Amino acid sequence: MVELTQTGIEGLDSILNGGIVTNSTTLVIGTPGAGKSILGLQFIYNGVEQFDERGIFLSFEENREDLAAAAESIGFDRWAEHVEAGDIKIYDKRRLLQENDFSDTLEVLLEDLGQDQYDRLVLDSLAMFELFFDDEGEHRTYLLKFTDILKQNGLTSLLTNEQSTVFPDTDIGLENFLTDGNIYLIQTPTESGVTRYVWVAKMRKQDIETDIYPMEITQGGIDVHDNASAFSMMNDSESPL
Amino acid sequence: MVSVDLLRTLGNKYSAEILDATEEPKSAQELSDQLDIPIATCYRRIDELTDHDLLELHDNVLSDDRRRIKVYRRNVDAIEVSFEESMLIDVEKRSEVTNKLDEAWRTLSES
Repeated sequence: MVELTQTGIEGLDSILNGGIVTNSTTLVIGTPGAGKSILGLQFIYNGVEQFDERGIFLSFEENREDLAAAAESIGFDRWAEHVEAGDIKIYDKRRLLQENDFSDTLEVLLEDLGQDQYDRLVLDSLAMFELFFDDEGEHRTYLLKFTDILKQNGLTSLLTNEQSTVFPDTDIGLENFLTDGNIYLIQTPTESGVTRYVWVAKMRKQDIETDIYPMEITQGGIDVHDNASAFSMMNDSESPL
Repeated sequence: MVSVDLLRTLGNKYSAEILDATEEPKSAQELSDQLDIPIATCYRRIDELTDHDLLELHDNVLSDDRRRIKVYRRNVDAIEVSFEESMLIDVEKRSEVTNKLDEAWRTLSES
């Protein structure tokens, strides 16, 4: 029986047949605004709140205050408290990019990883991580080594990646192959706003639902409606949604 | 520190070839075989290059017959010499980020 780490997002855990495989790395892919960072915040926050698991949040995109504001805006009221208590460790943009000295920060991070204190990690986003490597080959090698380091240290990780097109079939990079799971967050504009979907395209060692399911971003974070796949919803007029 | 001595070292027979061959860690014996360098010369060049921080002792790996073997890896990506004002020798080190990840990963595979 494979050990699972619950995201704490009910609908998503149900699509995943219980959760993400523990100690695996999952790529979260989506266009800007699709909810990648929110999923990351929620994964870390739920870890502390519901499962007593500590988390590390690495953000190349935002600084600590922006993250706290984003967390609070979706109702993660005790985010700052958990950061204060050390249950959530933040490496923010300022820290990661300070004087371009990623290598010093990396050393501290690797030390943190080795201490066995954390169970969950989010890296937002991989696009910046790439910049530290000279070419595709080197990037591939070190992404593999990095994910290996995460796994061996007992971390279940979400790595986010921007994608430029809404439908992903043309945009599959080496990150997709080098990670254990791929979760796509999809958004399409509608007359009334935005319709959002989640698609778990791959999860090694796991029997998953591979349909596309509708989701919402509300107070409380991401909410996945796993009781109706997007396609059955479109075709079935009796669907409750 | 970075002086014209470094250029002399670099100019010695086989030095450049050794740096060229050590993107991945190699032992003196491997370098000697691969580059066809007499083993004593190979050790001498390795010492010189290591003194100038161009090559580094990367690890002591266990050989098939359970002996510890030193492997060396080049420490630089490029060396630039300019004569525009006073002579300037600029040594471009290998990326620290990759070095640190290598190190952490190596520690993993040993434990």
